[in-house]
Amino acid sequence: MIDQSQNQKMISANDGASFGVGSSGETLYVQHFKNDEARFLGYYLEKLQGYSALKYAFGMTPAAVVDEMKKSNLRGRGGAGFPTGIKWGFINDKTPFPRYLVCNADESEPGTFKDRDIMRYTPHLLIEGMVIGGFAISANVGYIYIRGEYTREAKLLQEAIDEAYEKGYLGKNILGSGFDFDLTVHRGAGAYICGEETGLLNSLEGKRGEPRVKPPFPAQAGAFGKPTIVNNVETLANVPFIVNRGGDWFSKLGRLERSGGTRLISVSGHVKKPGVYEIPAGSMTVRQIIYDLCGGLLNDRKLKAVIPGGSSAPVLTADEIDVIYDIDPLMKINSMLGSAALMVVSDEYCVVKLIHRITKFYAHESCGQCTPCREGCHWMESIIERILHGKGREQDLALLSDIADNIGGKTLCALGDAAAGPVASFVKKFKPDFEAYIRGGKHA
Amino acid sequence: MAKLLSEKFYSEMKKLEPRYPTKVALLLPALHAAQDENGWLSPEVLEEVAAYIGIHPAQAREVASFYTMYNLKPVGKYHIKVCTNVACVLRGADGLVSHCEKRLGIEVGQTTADRRFTLHEEECLGACGTAPAMMLNNDYHEDLDAQKLDRILDQLP
Amino acid sequence: MPKCTIDGRQVEFQPGENLIEVAKKAGIEIPYFCYHPGLSIVAQCRMCTVEIEKNPKLQTACSTPAADGMVVLTNSEKAKKNQRSVMEFLLVNHPLDCPICDKAGECDLQDNSYKFGDAYMRTSEDRRTYMDLDMGPVIKKNMNRCIHCTRCIRFGAEVAGIREMVAIQRGNNTEITTIDGRPLETEYAGNYSDICPTGSLTLKGFRFKKRAWFLKKTATVCEGCSRGCNMEVQQEGNVIYRCIPRENKEINQWWMCDEGRFNYRYTMEKTRVTDPRVSTTDKGLAPCDWSSAISAARNLVQGKKTLILAGSDLTQEEIALLQAFAKQALGSAEIRHFGTPGVKTAQDDAAADKLLKRKSKTANLHGVERLGVQAFDGNTNGAQALLVVRGGRAVLPSLAHLGVTTVIGAGVYQASETKGFSAILPGAAFTEKDGTIVNFQGKEQKIRRAVLPPGKSKTLSEILALWTHQGQQPSTSSRTATTTATVTGGAV
Repeated sequence: MIDQSQNQKMISANDGASFGVGSSGETLYVQHFKNDEARFLGYYLEKLQGYSALKYAFGMTPAAVVDEMKKSNLRGRGGAGFPTGIKWGFINDKTPFPRYLVCNADESEPGTFKDRDIMRYTPHLLIEGMVIGGFAISANVGYIYIRGEYTREAKLLQEAIDEAYEKGYLGKNILGSGFDFDLTVHRGAGAYICGEETGLLNSLEGKRGEPRVKPPFPAQAGAFGKPTIVNNVETLANVPFIVNRGGDWFSKLGRLERSGGTRLISVSGHVKKPGVYEIPAGSMTVRQIIYDLCGGLLNDRKLKAVIPGGSSAPVLTADEIDVIYDIDPLMKINSMLGSAALMVVSDEYCVVKLIHRITKFYAHESCGQCTPCREGCHWMESIIERILHGKGREQDLALLSDIADNIGGKTLCALGDAAAGPVASFVKKFKPDFEAYIRGGKHA
Repeated sequence: MAKLLSEKFYSEMKKLEPRYPTKVALLLPALHAAQDENGWLSPEVLEEVAAYIGIHPAQAREVASFYTMYNLKPVGKYHIKVCTNVACVLRGADGLVSHCEKRLGIEVGQTTADRRFTLHEEECLGACGTAPAMMLNNDYHEDLDAQKLDRILDQLP
Repeated sequence: MPKCTIDGRQVEFQPGENLIEVAKKAGIEIPYFCYHPGLSIVAQCRMCTVEIEKNPKLQTACSTPAADGMVVLTNSEKAKKNQRSVMEFLLVNHPLDCPICDKAGECDLQDNSYKFGDAYMRTSEDRRTYMDLDMGPVIKKNMNRCIHCTRCIRFGAEVAGIREMVAIQRGNNTEITTIDGRPLETEYAGNYSDICPTGSLTLKGFRFKKRAWFLKKTATVCEGCSRGCNMEVQQEGNVIYRCIPRENKEINQWWMCDEGRFNYRYTMEKTRVTDPRVSTTDKGLAPCDWSSAISAARNLVQGKKTLILAGSDLTQEEIALLQAFAKQALGSAEIRHFGTPGVKTAQDDAAADKLLKRKSKTANLHGVERLGVQAFDGNTNGAQALLVVRGGRAVLPSLAHLGVTTVIGAGVYQASETKGFSAILPGAAFTEKDGTIVNFQGKEQKIRRAVLPPGKSKTLSEILALWTHQGQQPSTSSRTATTTATVTGGAV
C-alpha cells in the first residue's frame, strides 16, 4: 500500500529532465541524465563509484552474486517483468559452455525512451552491469543488441566501451581477477520484433528477426545455440547498485513486495512535462504521475485515456488512474506495466484514430510467421480503417473483439497479445467513440 | 568481377570477424556498412555481401528485406523519416507530414525529382518525450514544429 | 512404455514423439499445415493446437512431446474454436481459386477447411495480392494462394541443401520467392509441389492437365537409379499424368529427385518404337507383324554365336527368363549386363549427391549381379549376333565399335536409337509391367504395372514365349521351359 504522507519532492533540472525523489532522499542515476559529461569514464569513476561494484563482485563467488540478485527482487525492466535473479539462476554448474550474456537494447515499444538515456548519459552503468552479469553466469562474451535507429547512442556506447577496454575494465583478466569479458555492440536495422528475446537472438545470428518456438528457452539454447541470458538495458544498469549496496537494500527501495528498486518511467503525450523520471517501484499512482510529476494535462484539457505500459498495454479510462503504477497492481485490473511507458491522451485526439495507428504499428511489425498475427493484425487494421472512413458495419465491433480474442494467447510470441489486448480494450471502453463513426456519420 | 565495395568495407569487416563465432552473424553489420557506402543496397551489392559472408544471394536478400532501415531501392540524398506513432501523433506529427508533403511537393513514399529528398513515415523512434521527432538520414531531430522543420531543411547543403 | 490420454483414449508412445504422431496412433486426426515429419518444427500455422490439462494456454501439438500421464483434448470447445479461427484467418486472404486450381481434391487447405472450419465468411476486406515471378521449368508459383507455412523454405534449406527459396518482406506482405525470377537450381524441385499444402507451388508439367480425383494410382518404385525411391504412378485412360514419391523412411524418406520424377516421360514419347520392326536390305527398319518379326529374329541368330546384352534396368524375373532362354534357345549364349557409362559393376556404384541420387542410372544393377550376371566389358568374345534386351533406361553401349552387324533389340527403344539394328521387338517399360528389383541396400522392391504397354508392345515373357513357341503345336510341356524362373500374372 502506498504511504500517501510521503510527499514526492520534485526537482526540475534543465528543460525536459525532471525526476522524482525517493523516500531515501536520492534517486540512483537519473540526476546524471542530460549531462553531456556524465558518459565519460572519469565522471563515472568519480561521481557514480564507477567499477567499485565490479571489484566487490570479483571478491564474491558467481553463485553469491546471483543470490544477491534474487534478494533484490529486481524484475526485468524490458516489459516482461521476469525476476532477474531467477533468470540468472537458470545457468548453473551443469550448464555447458560457452555461455553468452546479451543486452536487449532494442527499445522499440512505442512510448519508451528510457534505455536511450542510460546509453547516452550513463553507459558505464550498463557496461559494468554486464561485466558483473557475465561473471555471475560465467559468460566471457557479451553483446549489446541496440536498435539500428539509435546511431548516435551506439557511437557513444562504443566510445565508452573503448574507454573501458583501455583502462582494463573489459578484455582479458579484468582487474587481475582472471575473468575475461569481451563486449560488442551489434546494431539492429529497424524491426520491433527484435525486441522479443528469441527474435533478437536470430537477428544477432544474421537471420531474419523471427521469434523461435519455446522451449527450448535461451538459457538452454540461445545465441548460436548456446546457453544465453538476455536482459534489458535498465535491468543491467541496476546491477552495480545491487552489488554495491546489497539485494535487501534494493528490494526495500521498492514499495511493493516482489518489486524492488527504482524504476525509470517514460511519460509522453498530452502532459505538460513529458520525459524520463525515476521513482521507487510502486510508489506512485498513475494519477500522481500525470498531475504531480508531469504537471497535468497539456492546455489543461480533460483526460480521455491513458496507455500505461507502452502501446501493448490495454488502455485505461480516466476513471481507472488511481491504480498504483507497477507490475502486479496493473495486472490485477487487466492491463500491464510493460516497459513503464505512460502515454497520456486528452480529449484533443480521437481514440479511434489512435487505436487505428496502434494496430497499424503491429501489422507493420508482425514478422509474419504465425497465422493469427499475420492475418489477424492486418484484418483488424483494415476494419478500423473502414470504420474511420465511415464504412463501418454494426457487426464490426463484435467482430473486432472476436478477432482479438482469437489472436490473444494463440500466437507464437507476445506480439499477437500486444496487438489484441489494446484493440479489445479500446473497443470495450470507448464504444461510443466507435459508434459515432458507425452510426453517427462521423468520418475521418 | 570488379568489387563494388571498398577496401575499407573489407578491412572493417575483418576486424569484426573474431568477435562472432559464425560468419553469418556479420550479415547485419555488413549490410549497414555496405549501405553506408552507396546509400542503398542494390542487387549487385547484395550479391557481393552474400559472397563475402559465404551465403546464397537469396539469403542476403531475405534478411535485408526484413528490416526497414535497409533501403532496397535508391533514396534521395536526404532521407526524411517522420515518426507518426502514438506519442508523436498526439503532439502533431500528422500535421508535420502534410507540411513536408506540401513543401517538397511529394507524397509519403516518394522521392523529389532532383533526387534530393525522400519522405517516409516511421514507427516509434524512442524520442517520445520530445515529440514530434524525425530522422534525417542517421540524425534525430526532436521537439519539432513546422517552423523548426523548415529551418532544418533550409540549412541543408 | 509411457502412456498418455488423448480424447479419453490411452495411447502408448516412444519418448520424444510429438502429440500429432502419437494421436495418429490412436486414430485421432490433429490437423496441421506447417508440420512435416521430414522437416524442422516451427509451430507457425497454429492449426494443431490442443488443450492440455493443467495448461491454461492451448499448445501446438507438433512442438509438444508427449509426456507420461499427459491428458490431451483435441476436440474441446477451446481447441475447436481455435481450429475454426485459424481456418478463418487463412481464408481472409486466400483467393477463391478452387475451380481453376490444380490442387483441388488433394488440398490440405480445402480438406481442413471442410473438416475443421466454418462454412461462412466474416471478412469483407480486399485480399492482398502479389505479382508472380517465374521459378523455372518445374514449379509454377502462385503467391496469392500461399498460406506461409514455410515448408518450402525449410525443404530448400534442410533437405535440398540450397537456400534459394526464401521469404522476403515481413508480416502480411511476406512473399516466398526465388528472387528476381531466378529458376530453381535444385535437382529436387518437384518436391516443392508435393509438400505445398495449397496450390501455391504446383508442377508446371501437370498444370490444367487432369483433376486429381480422376487419377488412378499405382504404388511402384522409380527406375531412375539404384536407390529405387518409392513412387506412385498416377494415370487415367492409360496416360500417365504424374509421378510422386511415396514415403519410405529407409530408402527415400518423403522425397524423390526430378530426374526420377519425370523419367516416365520417355515411355510416352511419340518416337518410341511400339511395333515390331525388321530391317530390309536397303530400306532400314520397317514395321511388320509379330510373327514376321519373330521369324526374322530366329533366322538372324540361326547358327550364329549370340551374345545377350541385358540392361541392368531389367527386373529379376526378366533376367531369370533370359537366363533360361539363353540356355535353351540360344545354345547357352552368354549374358552380360550394361547400364551406366562409368559404372561397370555394382562395386562402382556410389552416391552421386548428398541426398538421394546414385551413380548407377539403372534401378536393378545390384539385383542383376545377385543373379550372377557379369558386366559387359566391351569384349564380344567372337559373337556374331547380339540380342540387346533393355528396360528403357540402360545406356546402350556403342554398338558400332563391336563389329557385329546382326543386332536384335528387345525392349523399349526410341526410333533414333535403332540405327543399325536388324530387328526390334518392342517391350514393356517399367510402368507397364510387374517385377522385382533390388536396390543398392540389397532391398527387394516391387515395380507394378500402372498402364498397358502401348501399341503392339509386349512383355519380355510374352516375347520370349513367342520366340520359343511360335509355329509349334500348343502342348503342356512346352510351357515349362520358359516359365521355370517366375512368377505371377501376365504382367511379367
